[in-house]
Amino acid sequence: MATRALLAVISSSPNRCFISTRRIKNQASSAFSTSPSLHFQIQSRKTHRIAPSFSSDTNSSALQPPDVSRLAETARISLTPAEIEECGPKIRQVIDWFGQLQKVDVNSVEPAIRAEMEGGNLREDAPETFENRDGIRDSIPSFEGTYLKVPKVLNKE
Amino acid sequence: MIGELIKILKITVLTSKNSKEIAKKPWKLNSIRQTVTFASSSSPVTTTTTSVSPPQSQILTTRRSLLSGEITASEIAKSYLSRIRLTESHLKCFLHVSDNVLKYAQEIDQRIAKGEELGPLAGVLIGVKDNICTEGMPSTAGSRILEHYRPPFDATAIKKIKELGGIVVGKTNMDEFGMGSTTEASAFQVTANPWDLNRVPGGSSGGSAAAVAARQCMVSLGSDTGGSVRQPASFCGVVGLKPTYGRVSRFGLMAYASSLDVIGCFGSTVADAGMLLHAISGYDRFDSTSSKQEVPEFQSQFLPMDLFESKPLKGVRVGLIRETLEEGVDSGVRSVTQEAASHLEALGCVLTEVSLPSFSLGLPAYYVIASSESSSNLSRYDGVRYGNQVMADELNKLYECSRGEGFGGEVKMRILMGTYALSAGYYDAYYKRAQQVRTLIRKDFKAALEQNDILISPAAPSAAYKIGEKKDDPLAMYAGDIMTVNVNLAGLPAIVLPCGLVEGGPLGLPVGLQMIGAAFDEEKLLKVGHIFEQTLKGSSFVPPLLPNVA
Repeated sequence: MATRALLAVISSSPNRCFISTRRIKNQASSAFSTSPSLHFQIQSRKTHRIAPSFSSDTNSSALQPPDVSRLAETARISLTPAEIEECGPKIRQVIDWFGQLQKVDVNSVEPAIRAEMEGGNLREDAPETFENRDGIRDSIPSFEGTYLKVPKVLNKE
Repeated sequence: MIGELIKILKITVLTSKNSKEIAKKPWKLNSIRQTVTFASSSSPVTTTTTSVSPPQSQILTTRRSLLSGEITASEIAKSYLSRIRLTESHLKCFLHVSDNVLKYAQEIDQRIAKGEELGPLAGVLIGVKDNICTEGMPSTAGSRILEHYRPPFDATAIKKIKELGGIVVGKTNMDEFGMGSTTEASAFQVTANPWDLNRVPGGSSGGSAAAVAARQCMVSLGSDTGGSVRQPASFCGVVGLKPTYGRVSRFGLMAYASSLDVIGCFGSTVADAGMLLHAISGYDRFDSTSSKQEVPEFQSQFLPMDLFESKPLKGVRVGLIRETLEEGVDSGVRSVTQEAASHLEALGCVLTEVSLPSFSLGLPAYYVIASSESSSNLSRYDGVRYGNQVMADELNKLYECSRGEGFGGEVKMRILMGTYALSAGYYDAYYKRAQQVRTLIRKDFKAALEQNDILISPAAPSAAYKIGEKKDDPLAMYAGDIMTVNVNLAGLPAIVLPCGLVEGGPLGLPVGLQMIGAAFDEEKLLKVGHIFEQTLKGSSFVPPLLPNVA
């Protein structure tokens, strides 16, 4: 399910990543001024320190704040100008709050893709017939014969 | 002066005698109401009833009554349907009520008449969260993009329930795709809390929790990605059980965050939640993340109270998580939790305080992971193969418009945050880092569970709050998940059960205690939970139903 898509992101993502200290400080101060109800952040008030493994690369790009219109285009979601105005600040607020993760020392900590579990539960990768074909077809908004029908495909890139 | 005022509320409540009656005969409810006067002034609320018998399993009661011929499955079904009709306009728990409930109940009666074998869930009326696929019945996940969608198959959990004789009453309301903590983010309706109609039932499985609390069904299924079963269970005063990651097949559960999602169970007793879990557990070849671990027979844990020893939990090591009782947690919730801990001690448990140093990191790590995975999982809703399509002159436009019109605000926001966190160059800073934090959290839990049999905490930092109170402040809303998200990150099982009331609403508001166990050790949670529930003195946790209906 999600894993395959995420793996695709892993392989395409460059291993270098640099965060400017100034940016992080900004994130920290705005994150903690936005929501006084988040008491659980108290421990994170210290100035963020960047783990060495994180900033050592010189060939780098800084983390930019989210550009909501561009994200919406990437995610294939049309947003009205009013929606952009409404959700933009909220998204920036939450992303700023995510910034507290940068101060955690995760040096030599392996990432966990999910809970520990036994492997080897994969079934044989062989096609099987699903009996209720009509049930599936009933849900298709538009089809012709054995084809799904969609409008023309334009490749802008 | 105002503080000294004692509000005298004239409301319709169930007296203790009547709650006892409900426990024994869950189908008899609407005939037994009477008007009483109730005073509320202090927090936490002391009990409103004096002697209350412990709650009885509705699954076992139903089975006994059917087998003895005391009542028919059709009669039970009719009484539940009539209660749904009476209460639904106030509560709005269901997005769809099945037309076939009576038909299936009659089939069970025919089996009984012929002397045929009855499945363990025969005649049990089950509410199902709307993100769990039910063949031929609407399954929308609370989203416009799936309005009118009827899946061509049953989720494995539903298939198992039906095979065991269970009857799906209908589909329950939820925050769209599970993204929310109040059920206000449903595209269709806002569900009310049966304890106070002005308050949220919690979420995202708010419909399933409220339906069980209001006895609109006996048990229900929910899903829990970051607390979506446990927090609404706490808000509605019912039992919510989140199994170990991998215990229950997720085939047919609409994926939100695949590394966290589990299907969970609601009941008005620990035994009911446990028996429902048993029914749906086990390996499924259609879900490669389902586990081949043996599923124990939980039922032997649900001894009747007269068989309990004097210290029935003697020697059970209980760790109270220190970080869950610090600043930011309502004082009422804190004192009810402390009282619950004392009750466990009185039952023979050895209580210690434990620290999980990574505890506060779980919240941002959870939201990074859940948003990121949702941005990938929800890419399937593109308006092409199912769901609502908005026609356009070009394919990308079709995707964008179908998704733009189909998704609600919170869903769009999380997809966009996830898209950001997974962007090339940002992955290490957000998603990978959150996964490293998950490793830290897992290690902390492992260490704490080596020293203790179970860990306890409140289920949420507060009781149910008012509808609309946190709707426009995402961080305030997310902060409410602090007690539950870590358990999903570690993949552990946890049960929430009502342990006391705090001030609020006409009768007080329930507070849930969370018990967390080691992976695949639901059995221990059920045992401790059952004994705790059956020996807890005081409230019956039956909400003040229908104050406006005579």
